[in-house]
Amino acid sequence: MLWKVLLLLGLSSAWAQKLCSPGASDGYKVRLSINSALGDQAYVWNENEMFLFRATLAFAMRTYSDGQEYDVANVVVCDETPRVSFWFVVTSPLDASLLVDKRRVEEAVRKSRSRINSAFLLTDDTLEFIGIPPTLEAPVAPDTPPWLIAFGVVMGGVGAGIVVLLVSSVVQKIRKKRDGEEETGGKTENEAASDAIYNMSFSDDEPVTQM
Amino acid sequence: MGKEARQNWDNPVQFVLACVSYAVGLGNVWRFPYLCQMHGGGGFLIPYLIMLVLEGIPLFYMELAIGQKMSLGSIGAWTAINPYLGGIGVASVVTSMYLCLYYNIINAWSFWYLFHSFQSVLPWAECPLNSNRTGPIEECETGTSTEYFFYRETLNISSSIEENGGIHMGQALCLLLAWVITYLFIARGVKSTGKVVYFTAIFPYVVLFIYLIRGFTLHGAFNGVAYMFTPKLEQLANPTTWINAATQIFFSLGLGFGTLIAFASYNQYNNNFERQAIIVSFINCGTSIFASVVTFSIYGFKATVNYENCLERTRLLLLNTFNLAEDSVSMDNVFEWIEKLNTTYPQQFAEIAHKLEGCDLESELDTAVEGTGLAFIVYSEAIMNMPVSQLWSVLYFLMLLLLGMGSMLGNIMAIITPLRDFKLLSHISDELLNGLVCVFCLLLGLGFTTTSGNYWFTMFNDYGANFSLLFVVLAEVITVSYIYGIKRFEKDIEDMLGHRPNWYWKIMWAGVSPLLLITLFIVYIVNYIQGGTPTYQAWNKELVSWGSFPLLTDYPVFGQLFIALLLVSSVSCVPLTALYVYCRERKRRPAHTGSPE
Repeated sequence: MLWKVLLLLGLSSAWAQKLCSPGASDGYKVRLSINSALGDQAYVWNENEMFLFRATLAFAMRTYSDGQEYDVANVVVCDETPRVSFWFVVTSPLDASLLVDKRRVEEAVRKSRSRINSAFLLTDDTLEFIGIPPTLEAPVAPDTPPWLIAFGVVMGGVGAGIVVLLVSSVVQKIRKKRDGEEETGGKTENEAASDAIYNMSFSDDEPVTQM
Repeated sequence: MGKEARQNWDNPVQFVLACVSYAVGLGNVWRFPYLCQMHGGGGFLIPYLIMLVLEGIPLFYMELAIGQKMSLGSIGAWTAINPYLGGIGVASVVTSMYLCLYYNIINAWSFWYLFHSFQSVLPWAECPLNSNRTGPIEECETGTSTEYFFYRETLNISSSIEENGGIHMGQALCLLLAWVITYLFIARGVKSTGKVVYFTAIFPYVVLFIYLIRGFTLHGAFNGVAYMFTPKLEQLANPTTWINAATQIFFSLGLGFGTLIAFASYNQYNNNFERQAIIVSFINCGTSIFASVVTFSIYGFKATVNYENCLERTRLLLLNTFNLAEDSVSMDNVFEWIEKLNTTYPQQFAEIAHKLEGCDLESELDTAVEGTGLAFIVYSEAIMNMPVSQLWSVLYFLMLLLLGMGSMLGNIMAIITPLRDFKLLSHISDELLNGLVCVFCLLLGLGFTTTSGNYWFTMFNDYGANFSLLFVVLAEVITVSYIYGIKRFEKDIEDMLGHRPNWYWKIMWAGVSPLLLITLFIVYIVNYIQGGTPTYQAWNKELVSWGSFPLLTDYPVFGQLFIALLLVSSVSCVPLTALYVYCRERKRRPAHTGSPE
């Protein structure tokens, strides 16, 4: 009896291994770049980390797939390399010889990508599922583009400057005209000669102060 | 002279700063480093300085002397020298007009980049995502994110000069702002310009100095400076080096636009412009060299960053293909590993061989760029890799703005000063006349903000000023030396300065400079004829996937006609004005001789 059980176990694990192979049609390759991501604080990849991976994937399948009770044993891993890359396939909880369809696995991984990443302290770049492109975050689009705000500030300042400039030159012109009229009005009683001289210098002044 | 008292600079320092602000412009930052790199690094300084002495300073001095003596803008001054040659002044004004039309677009781009620097991530640092958010937009991926930002988001460039689109609103707004600021700076003529030049002349040096310190502390900066300043003296045997040095001095000092005449016309009669001419010329030269050092250190940084990124990509490729442990291959031993893997796994290696980019620091350093490409693409690429990149970006584009604005002020003055001298317009107030000129240039300049605007800009940039200026300055120096006469000119200068110019100046004006200018003129014409159909670089979106842009395209017929128009319109002012004056004299003379009878 015992040898039958052992035979079955051996066969099933061999079978499981046959289900998972590099290039399997329903499997995906995973690649981790722990050293690039964490540098000095990188952890060593070992059996426990692999267990965590399988558990995370089982969680993803449970939550985002058909709701069946996937277990760690349903995630089969093979072809581990020193790069830290491996292939995995997911078997159905109801029948261990049946593989879950590639697309369902992809969907589950996509939806839970951020949870998987954070379980390993990695990012989309450093924990890669070859064949499942990450859905990148949409950029934050503010209501008013920030450049318009800066533009508005500068334009407002310059506009105010021009208004001040024009108003001050108009005011100066009016003031000079008023002063000039007062002066010439007072002087007409006096010598005509000095009047003429004074008028010429008045007309000389105007263009200068205008500027 | 006349009933108006002419405006004057408040003090000679304002005049010097105005000349510095005008002469030190974008060309010092984006043309000189390129020439230095192309023509043998540090060795280029030899022809550059020789040309400065032979051609630059004498012609600068001559224009200042004319302006200060005549106290009139370019048209009035040349008419006073010789009534038949007033056309030289008209040609200057026309060329300045062309320049004013397109130059403020560069300021508009600087504003655009400046305003876009106030974001947490610089917009040209990353490619925008495509519609399904799986990766960057294809057009951006084939080029770089900085190229994409410049050509697509800033210019929204069309595929060729023939395809027109609408006006880019952001560009139009920035152009409006550029003109409004220009108006604010020149509204009251020299009174306002004189105060502004303190800032526009000095602040760029502050920024350049800050960038020098920043540049030298960047990783890999010395690679650039060392590589590019190492003199390759064999380049001195190449005549193109000398031609380019002469041309660069000529355009860098801003001769022929009439600006120097205009600025000098506001001087006191006895101002010592001789010393000022030498000072400004040397400051301009020194700034070019200073800016090159900064540019080369930035180049070195950018090349080193690109080289290291290339090594990193190669390292990842090796790791991923051969499933090696992460820490086995580091950036230092990438090349050793390539050889090792090539021998141990030749088949697998052959598969990825086409993906291997040859990473070479020298080839990265060799990429020489000039013009708007340097200023807006290469520099912004370097800036986005610096820490606190927003600060550096703001500083840099502010500097570009001030350099551009300073030159703009000079060119607008070159148009307004002669217009002011006309009796017809003298009753219009300063503010109104200046405003009208600015509005006119703004409206025409909006054409450069359309989708094909950059192609028109390049056309104006390449053909609008170069030929006309050579012609104008050649005519100027021949007029002064031979038609007006060196003796008369000497006496005028003695009248103003109190001493005659010494033999060096006279030899340059009468002999060396005209010869040099004739040589440049002939070389330009020969190059133009030999170059065949003029071409431009088109950014064709359809060819994106082949990575084959920018594409060298021929100008269409209307483009070539327009180029011819640009070249001919300013040059022809000289003979046309002479003809007009001659006819006017002829009409007057028969009445004169008829009356005594």
